[in-house]
Amino acid sequence: MLRRQVYKFPGRIQAIPMAPPDKILGLTEQFNVDKNPKKTNLTVGIYKDNWGQVTTFPSVARAQTILDQSFEMNTDLSYLPIKGCPDFRENVLKFLYRDSCPEGVELLDQDRISFVQTLSGTGALAVASKFLSLFISRTVWFPDPSWPNHANVFQNNGFKNINYYTYYKEGKLDVDGWIQDLEKEARETTDEYPPCIVLHACCHNPTGLDPTLEQWRRILDKIQELKMIPIIDMAYQGLDTGDLIKDTYLLRLSLDKNRYQWPNGLFLCQSFAKNMGLYGERVGSLSVVTPSGGDVKHNVDSQLKKIVRGMYSSPPGYGSRVANIVLSTPHLKDLWFEDVKNVAQRLQSVKAKMAERLDWESLKDPSRQHGMFLYTGLNTSSVDILRERFSIYLVQDGRLSLSGLNDSNIDYVCDALRKV
Amino acid sequence: MSKSLFNNLQLLPPDALFNIKQRLSTDSRPVKVDLGIGAYRDDNGKPWVLPSVREAEKLIQQDPDYNHEYLGIAGLTSLTQGAVKVLLGQDSPALKEDRVVSVQSLSGTGALHMAASFFTKFCKDKLVYLSDPTWANHNAIFETMGLKTASYPYWNAASKSLDLEGYLNAIKTAPQGSIFVLHACAHNPTGLDPNEEQWAKILKAIVEQDHIVLFDSAYQGFASGDLNKDAFAVRLGLEMLADSAPVIICQSFAKNVGMYGERAGCFHLVLPRQDASVDTEHVKASVKSQLAKITRSELSNPPAYGAKIVATVLNNPELTKQWHADMVTMSSRIIKMRHQLRDSLVSLKTPGNWDHIVGQTGMFSYTGLSAEMVQRLEKEHAVYLVSSGRASIAGLNSGNVEYVAKAINEVVNYFGSSKL
Repeated sequence: MLRRQVYKFPGRIQAIPMAPPDKILGLTEQFNVDKNPKKTNLTVGIYKDNWGQVTTFPSVARAQTILDQSFEMNTDLSYLPIKGCPDFRENVLKFLYRDSCPEGVELLDQDRISFVQTLSGTGALAVASKFLSLFISRTVWFPDPSWPNHANVFQNNGFKNINYYTYYKEGKLDVDGWIQDLEKEARETTDEYPPCIVLHACCHNPTGLDPTLEQWRRILDKIQELKMIPIIDMAYQGLDTGDLIKDTYLLRLSLDKNRYQWPNGLFLCQSFAKNMGLYGERVGSLSVVTPSGGDVKHNVDSQLKKIVRGMYSSPPGYGSRVANIVLSTPHLKDLWFEDVKNVAQRLQSVKAKMAERLDWESLKDPSRQHGMFLYTGLNTSSVDILRERFSIYLVQDGRLSLSGLNDSNIDYVCDALRKV
Repeated sequence: MSKSLFNNLQLLPPDALFNIKQRLSTDSRPVKVDLGIGAYRDDNGKPWVLPSVREAEKLIQQDPDYNHEYLGIAGLTSLTQGAVKVLLGQDSPALKEDRVVSVQSLSGTGALHMAASFFTKFCKDKLVYLSDPTWANHNAIFETMGLKTASYPYWNAASKSLDLEGYLNAIKTAPQGSIFVLHACAHNPTGLDPNEEQWAKILKAIVEQDHIVLFDSAYQGFASGDLNKDAFAVRLGLEMLADSAPVIICQSFAKNVGMYGERAGCFHLVLPRQDASVDTEHVKASVKSQLAKITRSELSNPPAYGAKIVATVLNNPELTKQWHADMVTMSSRIIKMRHQLRDSLVSLKTPGNWDHIVGQTGMFSYTGLSAEMVQRLEKEHAVYLVSSGRASIAGLNSGNVEYVAKAINEVVNYFGSSKL
């Protein structure tokens, strides 16, 4: 007879603590069960149009039609290579390192860029942090505040030391504080490995505050001096100014070879979630600008592949096929540039309408808040009141997703904000 | 010092399977046969999109509500709930008693990686037992997460049959409470499954030693054409382990729905029955929260497209019926090819016994060909398979099966049957 018993393992499983719900996606779960007809979700960074709808970008919709009608392309649900779709790779590299950043052409010619298609920005950060923690670094610096998932990604992928540099102080960007922190802390590090630093390429999440070019130069100079490894997180390319190319200034600046050398590489984590509206399809990339190409680059390639093979074998195909059609079809690419411009314009106009209704410092100067979010500066208890009394959902740190506002709810939300 | 850090990376050998694909694509010989990667091909040697999938794609594309919004962290509920019923059966006691936690994963690899991450967090000291031989990626998935692996005997090379005695002995001598990874059906790479009586013995021994079972279910319905038949081991395992230990099941839709590159799959954890003092709901919520944290740190949320297709197939009765027929189409073609290959080898009087080819099940046959024979097959005949002698039977069709039989006949005679 089988001996029936409850063994140690179930006991262990009972002892598993509850992990806290994700700070952002957890709120959406709460929102979904809220019965208030006026409920408004201003949490997740998904672009909604003036009718509160998530619409597919016209350029993307046309690419989908091409894909749906093309029997050949559509036949193939086969595995992509571990590093992703080769055409996607080629076209994204061209888009990032030629169109967006002429400084990159030489790097492409010298074959110095190691590239993997990733599960959007998070996937890129995960593969990058896994790779770095295996070989190069266990210490990372994030802005304070940063996207809440940054620390989770790096911690779960082997990073031991998570640090924050000053970014935001009394409603303003604090570049002096930032540089002082790096100077003081990073210089004194006893770690034998160089520390990494995560930089938001534009539209800083959650504050919406970005350094000027001049300020970026000072910051990058310091990063180079301290031998830190730059990791550029580019999730909102195009949503700042409406111009995809313009918004790539941080990458261009960092790759100015007369000013900067990155002996341990420069990491670019890039996503098409927001600027193509491909959120749930998980489309993005990690590119590593290696110091010398050749063997170093090929070795990096092989290690990145090993990481991917152990995590999920190969990336999902559909989203990358759509993105690839947009990038490789000239008239669709032009249309995409227009789409991005329209999205950015609507975000600007929401800010302008809010400014008419609220007497807030942060809304007065439109150049101060970049991108999809408004950092309201509201504290946790105000955010709680907004949610509990008005069914208006903001992220706990006071971040408000602008595109959740439209003509039909902006008065209601602004009234509530004023009351709170 | 940090300048040289990148230089120390080791160049890894390319992944054996993906590498075959590369060699094949540069091979200019007019007749070449790919028996490498495990992907179904139709009788013209082309990838085959299942008719049920084609229909599902149409329905999704025509749905006016179709968009690219993020899925929840745990994935698409209509997928996970449909999927668990396919696996466990409509009348599953575990489902009735509400003991199952299910989340979407990046196909089979993603689910296995999730299991590995989960074990690393909560029972890092346990040994993970893998069959000898097993899928080439199994070792890497567990070892890169820092788990120790061991192997249990499986394949008796001399008799080309199951080494049941060695298998049971390994179960008995393994440290109590170890983790056993079992292929639910269509064992990869051997194609050899225990029969029902053998399964009962194996699972009984596992229960007696309080081991934890992880079923890797990558071929349900693909092996025999019958979902229930191919779920025999999983369902028996759940029944026998219901009062002793949790069971983890990693489910892939790569082969049986042909979702290869879309990365659709699920991770299921089935809790054992426990006495009333245990709050199972709380345990489930805790497990789910920890799984969410893992997903959030690696990809934020799983890809939508493949998930929507599979969910549509599973939840639309017409399409489900079509899907069942599609699986019969695939499995019966493969079984036919097994017979034709065996019969051709017999009529060519190729030295050795080839009956194991028809006795094996699923995508693969462990042919018993040696590494040097495999090498010669590729070099002289442009027939590609992995060096272990595993052949993907799906690569055979009525146009090339004779050619392959002749090629095998040539290399076996070249080296002599003593090398088999």
